[in-house]
Amino acid sequence: MPFFQPSRITWLHRANPALKLPLFIALFVLTVLTHRIDASFYLACVFLLLLFCASGYPLWKTALLASGFAVAFASASLTMILFGKGSEIWWSFGPISISKESFYRGLHVGFRSIAFGSQGLLFVLTTSSTGLFYALMQRIKLSPKYAYSFMASIRLMPMALEELRIRRDALAVRGMGRGSFSLLRVPELYALPLLAQSIRRAQRTATAMEVKRFDTGKARTYFYASPVTWNDAAALLLLAGAATAALLLAHGLPVFGLGDMRMDP
Amino acid sequence: MESRIESPLHASRTLTAPPIAAEVRNLRLKFPGSPELLFRDLSLQIRQGEKVLLLGPSGCGKSTLLQVLGGIIPRVNEVPLKADKLIVPYSTGIVFQDPDTQFCMPYVDEELAFVLENLAVPRAEMPRRIEQALREVGLNLPDAHVPIGSLSQGMKQRLALASALLLEPDTLLLDEPSALLDPEGRRVIWEAVRAVSDRRTVIIVEHRVEEVLHWADRVVLFAADGSILADDAPERIFERYRAEMLRYGIWYPQAWNDAYGSEQRSTAEAPPSRIARTLSGQADTPNEPTALETWSGSGSGKSAVSAEAIQPVASAVSAPSYAYAPSASASGEAAAVSASPDRAEPLLRLDDFRVLRGGKTVCAAASAAAYPGDLIALTGPNGAGKSSLLLGLMGLLPHEGSCECAGGRPSGRKQLREAAAKHAAFVFQNPEFQFVTNRVLDEVLFTLRSEAEAALRAPRGGGFAGWLAPRRRARLDAVAEAELLRQSEACLERFGLGDYAERHPYLLSLGQKRRLSVASAIVSDKPLLLLDEPTFGQDARNAFAILDLCERLRASGHAVLMITHEMEIAERLATQIWTVEQGKLSSVWQTARSRDDELRLSEGGRG
Repeated sequence: MPFFQPSRITWLHRANPALKLPLFIALFVLTVLTHRIDASFYLACVFLLLLFCASGYPLWKTALLASGFAVAFASASLTMILFGKGSEIWWSFGPISISKESFYRGLHVGFRSIAFGSQGLLFVLTTSSTGLFYALMQRIKLSPKYAYSFMASIRLMPMALEELRIRRDALAVRGMGRGSFSLLRVPELYALPLLAQSIRRAQRTATAMEVKRFDTGKARTYFYASPVTWNDAAALLLLAGAATAALLLAHGLPVFGLGDMRMDP
Repeated sequence: MESRIESPLHASRTLTAPPIAAEVRNLRLKFPGSPELLFRDLSLQIRQGEKVLLLGPSGCGKSTLLQVLGGIIPRVNEVPLKADKLIVPYSTGIVFQDPDTQFCMPYVDEELAFVLENLAVPRAEMPRRIEQALREVGLNLPDAHVPIGSLSQGMKQRLALASALLLEPDTLLLDEPSALLDPEGRRVIWEAVRAVSDRRTVIIVEHRVEEVLHWADRVVLFAADGSILADDAPERIFERYRAEMLRYGIWYPQAWNDAYGSEQRSTAEAPPSRIARTLSGQADTPNEPTALETWSGSGSGKSAVSAEAIQPVASAVSAPSYAYAPSASASGEAAAVSASPDRAEPLLRLDDFRVLRGGKTVCAAASAAAYPGDLIALTGPNGAGKSSLLLGLMGLLPHEGSCECAGGRPSGRKQLREAAAKHAAFVFQNPEFQFVTNRVLDEVLFTLRSEAEAALRAPRGGGFAGWLAPRRRARLDAVAEAELLRQSEACLERFGLGDYAERHPYLLSLGQKRRLSVASAIVSDKPLLLLDEPTFGQDARNAFAILDLCERLRASGHAVLMITHEMEIAERLATQIWTVEQGKLSSVWQTARSRDDELRLSEGGRG
């Protein structure tokens, strides 16, 4: 069984991607516009929870994918914590100074990056690329030219990866790994053969598609219908409910009890 | 652009012969940027229902003509052309050469549905027509929703045929559909084509004609300049133009016999049935030292002499063959060693050798060895682990167990990689991936220079310095540089690339690229050469040229280990056949050919 195949199908899988996409964009916007650390904390918690419950993947896979958030959290918050400005200095050493303000702003940024990550991953894990493009073509009239180009390019990617591996082996065989000058030549050494191969392949694929009478001007039918069903309502309720719950919790059960992070907290 | 494109329905009103399916009259065509016309006043007429095979040397324009006849040029690919008359079929379906680049969707059913969508077929009708198309080409999938990536190459080509059929074409165009398939894939794709082609016009461009010949009505033979040399029934073409076909590199049924002679096999070789049995994996003992003892008992000193006579240029570059045999004392496996005492040391000896990928064993070799003078055919089904074995031998994949390389026994992966880099040359399937410079000459020079620099860095007296010693004490001063340059030029000359020294490697032809990749791998005269399907997808001329190269190296005391699906190589040239099945080296079979056997070159390579 391939890695990226959900073991359970949830409401979010069944929802129409053309509606799900704007929903998630709305969530992104909400997260961007969150300026209170309590809200960002609860958003991060709620969507992390939702990710584990509704992505349809086994716990270990979700955990593996979500482990990247730790890096995102650390990188986003540490810079702010160590180098941010503030008046109430807790500790300082050379250029590093940790103040109360910078500390909480750092945490705030970190929570938001976790919320972002969870939302994005939730969308990606519950949507197939084919389903997304079929929905976009049928629901919001995306030109088939772009939709099929994207789908074809997704197919070509593993081949390019395989070639990257072969090129690496070939360079090792030729002894290109040694010597100090080789690091500078890395882009050239990899780009030329891989691009040459990819361009050829893309050109052949394009010809093959046109030969199959792919013509963007003509009317076409679709193999997959992309209907709007009650699943979409369920998904809408679920996501909106999650966001509302996070905001209500932040209001009623604040952990930090701080104000707007843009001002002095 | 003065071409007139007519529909065939109006084009021909003659009632006696079948109507014309496609016609060009006085076609002139030139690719932008190329100095010469590809076609000069070419005329060809194809009637409906005809099965026409277009043959000719590489680069003569067959595929381009096919695209003109199929209406791809100029409709899809814009190439300037001019013709007094151009009739293209009303509807065409095309199958191209490369199985991996004909699809745009991830799943089989989606790909076929893509065609139906383009034709605006209602959704309700799609599953039925998809199923029918798959059945027609003999792809019996229980569920059509399978990833295309999980199909074999032969199945992918049948899928391409199925999607062509969904267009309900009256003309099928096939642009070398079997060139990149193994023998089994070739057989089934042609079976499928035959099954669907009964009343359709079929125009085929192909280099491998064994499977096509007996049902083609007509063969059009092109000369190298793009003119039509002959246009006749297949039997007559093959009677009269066999010499041309050999020269053009067409894989006609007797190509192997004409190149290597039919009598050789019967005098020297093991019964083919035996080999076939070994290759199909049944019941041979894994190692057969007795066969070796029987066959290689005589004349072991001979080959070094003959090698020097044959390869004057090579001998300037390389040391005599027995210089490779390291001085380390022999160990174990006395049976094989006793057969030819003066070259007793194997260049490569595997003992319980396992190649790992992601922690799992992908290829295990219990016991096998390669000696100077060996040409080993490594065969087996796709995905069995052949390539992994070679990568493991080069130290590019982790391994367990023992791999003895020219007397040394490197322990870890890094040590094996270093030992392999010293003793073995590796030629990848796609030569382009191996090129690291921007000039053909530099490509060869690069190998020599990095070897020389490595030798300089190597601590004296330790490790393999003793092996490198007789060649040169490399100091990269002006004198040494000049010497390397001279060697590189001599090497290019020897590989027939002397005129292209200043070119970019990517601008060479397919056969030249392949020769260059071999040249740059072996120029520093490593005793062991590993090749990954060197003849795959090549026309006969290029394939024989590569085989001649390998054979010359073999006869001069190198060992050659090549992955191949070509049974003829195994039967005619190999001294050993290694079969890999399901991640295991399941049999090591000594053929009747001995390591001291004289040079066996193809017809074209003897001159």
